[in-house]
Amino acid sequence: MSRINALVLTGYGLNCDMETAYAFEQAGANSRRVHINALIDGAIALDEFQIMAFIGGFSWGDDHGAGVIQAVRMRTNIGDKLLAFIEQGKLVIGICNGFQCLVNLGLLPGLDGDYTRRSVALTYNDCGNFRNDWVHLKAETDSPCIFTRGMTRFELPVRHGEGKFFATADLHHRLAENKQIVLRYAMPEGLPARGAFPFNPNGSIDDIAGICDPTGRVFGLMPHPEAYNHWTNHPDWTRLKEKVKRGQAEKPAGVTPGVRILKNAVDYFAG
Amino acid sequence: MIGRFDTDSDPDARWYKYQGLETIMPSRIEITLKPDLLDAEGENLRRKARDYFGIHTESVRTVNIVTIDAALTDEQVEQVRTEIFTNPVTQISSLAPLAVYADWIIWVGFRPGVRDNAGATAVEAMEDLLGIRLGREEAVYTSKRYCLKGNHLTETEVQKIASQLLANDIIQQWKIFGARNWNPAEGVGIIIPKVRLDHVPTLTALAIDSDATLQRLSVERNLALNPNDVPIIRAYFLDPRVRAERIKVGLADPTDVELEYISQARSDHCNHNTFRGLFYYRDLATGQTETINNLFKTCIQAPTLDLQKKKPWVVSVLWDNAGVGRFDDRHYYTITGETHNSPSNMEAYGGAITGIVGVYRDPMGTGRGSRLIMGSYGFCVGPRDYAGDLKAHLHPRRLLDGVIEGVRDGGNKSGIPTPFGQVLFDHGYMGKCLVFVSALGIMPATVNGEPSEQKTILPGDLVIMCGGRVGKDGIHGVTASSETFSEHTPAGHVQIGDPYTQKKMHDFLLEARDEGLIRFITDNGGGGLSSSVGETALYSNGCAIELENVPLKYAGLDQWEIWVSESQERMTVAIAPENEKRFFELSARHAVESTVIGRYTDSGKLHITYNGKTCAYVDLDLMKAGFPQWRFEAEWRSPQERGLHEPVLSAPDDHNGVLLDLLGRPNICSKEWIIRQYDHEVQGTSVIKPLMGAGRDTLSDAVVLRPVLGSNRGLAFSQAMLPFYSRIDAYHMTTCTIDEAVRRLIAVGGDPDHIGGVDNFCWPTIQYDPVANPDGRFKAAQLVRSCRALRELCLAYGIPLLSGKDSMYVDGHLPGRYGETHKVSALESLQFSATSVIDDILRCITLDPKADGDLVYVIGLTGNELGASEYYDMLGYVGSRVPQVQAEAFMQCYRALAQAMANGWVASAHGIYRGGLGVHLAMKAMAGRMGMDIDLSAVPSEGAGRNQVLLYSESAGRLIVTIDPRRRQSFEAHFKNLPAACVGRVIPDARLKIRGIEGKTIIDIPVPALQEAWHQRFGDLT
Repeated sequence: MSRINALVLTGYGLNCDMETAYAFEQAGANSRRVHINALIDGAIALDEFQIMAFIGGFSWGDDHGAGVIQAVRMRTNIGDKLLAFIEQGKLVIGICNGFQCLVNLGLLPGLDGDYTRRSVALTYNDCGNFRNDWVHLKAETDSPCIFTRGMTRFELPVRHGEGKFFATADLHHRLAENKQIVLRYAMPEGLPARGAFPFNPNGSIDDIAGICDPTGRVFGLMPHPEAYNHWTNHPDWTRLKEKVKRGQAEKPAGVTPGVRILKNAVDYFAG
Repeated sequence: MIGRFDTDSDPDARWYKYQGLETIMPSRIEITLKPDLLDAEGENLRRKARDYFGIHTESVRTVNIVTIDAALTDEQVEQVRTEIFTNPVTQISSLAPLAVYADWIIWVGFRPGVRDNAGATAVEAMEDLLGIRLGREEAVYTSKRYCLKGNHLTETEVQKIASQLLANDIIQQWKIFGARNWNPAEGVGIIIPKVRLDHVPTLTALAIDSDATLQRLSVERNLALNPNDVPIIRAYFLDPRVRAERIKVGLADPTDVELEYISQARSDHCNHNTFRGLFYYRDLATGQTETINNLFKTCIQAPTLDLQKKKPWVVSVLWDNAGVGRFDDRHYYTITGETHNSPSNMEAYGGAITGIVGVYRDPMGTGRGSRLIMGSYGFCVGPRDYAGDLKAHLHPRRLLDGVIEGVRDGGNKSGIPTPFGQVLFDHGYMGKCLVFVSALGIMPATVNGEPSEQKTILPGDLVIMCGGRVGKDGIHGVTASSETFSEHTPAGHVQIGDPYTQKKMHDFLLEARDEGLIRFITDNGGGGLSSSVGETALYSNGCAIELENVPLKYAGLDQWEIWVSESQERMTVAIAPENEKRFFELSARHAVESTVIGRYTDSGKLHITYNGKTCAYVDLDLMKAGFPQWRFEAEWRSPQERGLHEPVLSAPDDHNGVLLDLLGRPNICSKEWIIRQYDHEVQGTSVIKPLMGAGRDTLSDAVVLRPVLGSNRGLAFSQAMLPFYSRIDAYHMTTCTIDEAVRRLIAVGGDPDHIGGVDNFCWPTIQYDPVANPDGRFKAAQLVRSCRALRELCLAYGIPLLSGKDSMYVDGHLPGRYGETHKVSALESLQFSATSVIDDILRCITLDPKADGDLVYVIGLTGNELGASEYYDMLGYVGSRVPQVQAEAFMQCYRALAQAMANGWVASAHGIYRGGLGVHLAMKAMAGRMGMDIDLSAVPSEGAGRNQVLLYSESAGRLIVTIDPRRRQSFEAHFKNLPAACVGRVIPDARLKIRGIEGKTIIDIPVPALQEAWHQRFGDLT
């Protein structure tokens, strides 16, 4: 019986709170939706939680750069509490707008233990528009990332207009060396997308879809694990269903890859 | 300096350049991407200039400008520049103009008073970072300049880019700088589009000495009072009892506030005078006449109430902001739909985003409030490649781009999936476009132990306004949408919706609901407070409003303007006084502005004061007073009398060519570029997506959501629109549209016993006028026939109308080549939305064939019904044999299919819609990336006879399904005595092969070629 508490941040235009909370419950956590202002005014304390989720949405309408103003508000008001949360060895995941917020806070990539420096960016998709599609992902198997433990290849939906990962060449090199590049967009067969649209949906350098900090405890990704919370979320599910009906495939069992990512976090403490 | 920079264009506001006279020293921050980074926005503009106008630019870079009109120290400005407005990794910025190379520069900024969302969030961020509060007079304004490279560019070309791609004069200002007249030190200058009214709010009493006077004032003040209402209004204010009461509160003649209130309440938009009208219907052929008193009562209300008795799942209809149906024992779903045509026609982006964000407030304001779970759209515009002489305010292509983006931002930023919609092109929509928006929500069956769908107001309850502030936005929006669009229509009612502010309010109100704080809730849409407070006051029978408490965007609004302003993102809420403290705590927690603006009473009066002085004192029951019913003459002339007949056509030799060309037609081809811009999976509820199949790129018949995570129940949603059939008979247009929407639900596994409907009528003006509207009587007859069809089919199919709206006056007057104007009327159009609840989402079916060797069945009869079909349209004909619905026969098949699906016999299902059997066999082949071998002679038909009829007739009631051969016997036994037959099989070779009735192959096309034809037209758009 898990006592792991997951905090799901809400408010100011964030919008994936219901399904993220639901996915955490499926992963075995007690999840709680908490308004940014409840953390700031102290009505709710971070200490009660082991996992903190910066979720998707359009915080402050994404004006002035996605995740920028949310980062400003949180750094200004509870920056120290966030750093303490990480120092205590707890886990942080940033999904889509949450990922954008983490890089603007500097919690990612967190090189040299510096969790305040903005050194990478998520900027406008090369296709010039918001895009909703499912993507194939390849995980860095020997990455320190807690959330993707034991995961190699899977699919998730992307839904963003500013998901193009950008960093200078040498910084990119360091991330690669440290195995901090956790997820890359791939071709259906698993080969690297090599920037090919729509497999790499936004033009990210090196097909980067998600990165972690050097400890692997802070993780950010553009795709939406919480939107793959049931096997019927997958675009091919009715095709799989028919195969199952005809005895040509196994009925899907266990949690979806989306929930698995969150379950890895829960198991990290439980296990 | 060239360009449009008229300082007096807006009488309510004054533009000024900073002249060092102000006490505040404004600062201007310019931000741009680092030169080595791709500028996607600039690249988009470069591509559009090339593709739309053949204007070639070498490159376009964008510079964002943030102008801060606030008393900040240099250190503070520097801090916000670096920490908020500049991304150190990707951007550079400066307080001086950035040196970005350009041969031409276009600057675009908002007009005063236009909603600047980014400016507003900038203020929030600055206040946060600096720990300060900006004063009422301080603000931040955002604008952009585009740096165009291309030494061959001419001024005319640049002007075209500015005026036809970037700026819309209605909401924006623009300037053009040539390299020569660009001052690198001054840049665009410091421009502050601040509203300055310098006006003392004044209340005006209006003379009513004669009907003529009041009618004149109505025109002068754009009240759009119906002349027939004028005598009743006068009679009321002249009534001695009324005068005596009014004198006590210091009033005599009616005030502008009062007349505005009456005008809003009586507008066609709010009161649906057309649908409630008296119709004298005459069939010119038979000479038969009929009088229909109130189409709404007879064709919508009566059948729905009748069905509600038989269908316990129908929870609440016909009175609230949206209809309510039961989803499961603990949850209800809410649904409504509306249009936002006139504003979108003038400012496509602003009109559409205001439309979608606006319709989301209806479910929010239904019952005690519901959470939004999805939205949908319908866009009807002129031909995207229109090259004729008529000059629409916005070219259809630009208009379409704008409405697509408006719904994209409104839906995506609200965190509500937008998984379904239609896009139709027709010349008739050049006069006025149609923008349909629908919204679905979900709410608990009980709130605090009380039924969530019920609400009322008690005297003493507080009147609270939540959300945005009030400005001059949208004043007379309601009355303007009750008029035909012309160059005289006031542009003042065009707004830009703010999904961010509304999302905060949405989250707040749901928490307040769950704590049982909300007694009554409704939205502020058309008519603003005048409608929302005016209508809710009926529940307690009175209200006392203190207008000075209404928070304003800027000072200087007259009382009547505060009362009728349609500023967006506002809800009106009634709460018990004892809940005030908690309600405002939650409001603050969510950073939402809420204000007590008065109390509900039982005085029987709408009583409005401003700083203690009464400005309105009207008996609420005035609206029930005998206002005269609108009257319409309707004359039906049958297709034959109108000279419509079937064309004389022989069979085509090249059926491959016909099918490929049909697939590429604008009204059939893939619109994937739109669907992918719309977040259709947020909330994690997606079961059947808009695009499914092996390539995830073929259109689903309907979408299915799982709105209650953790439950296996699904909510299916579909829509249909077939305005083309109105060319022959709006009766059959209506039955076919409803049938298609229903069939779409059945195709994904919908339950025939639970089908809810929403009707959205868009009609040209039906009031006859020998000069202005010579065919008004015919259009009125079309409306009568359409409503009859609605009633008859809804009763036959058992579809209660959970909600619906009507938007009339879909006409426009467009300038032509010689300065003459042409009246262009839209086709009589109906968008029909349908919902169903599915017990178990695992039963859902998609359209893609799943396995080689599966058998292909066609269910339903194909008749000789090519009238107004896509095939005839392609060949330049209308014809006369329009498809007709056989309700009983169709429903038998639908029930049989639903049962077969429940038994697990069906591998794929897809309805046969626009384009006919040929087109929709192609859809299935594309969806499965599989071939099919089809024999037309096996297709169940009735008088179809010829190959081209079997292939392209658009007979209703038909579906294509594939099944595992092992299910053959049980499936065929199940469909015994029903029009269903095996017409072929799925083959490993990815080709669509169709044998004609003579047995020889008439179509043989590789599936990739079908895809090419279907995707080509809009394939390059992203």
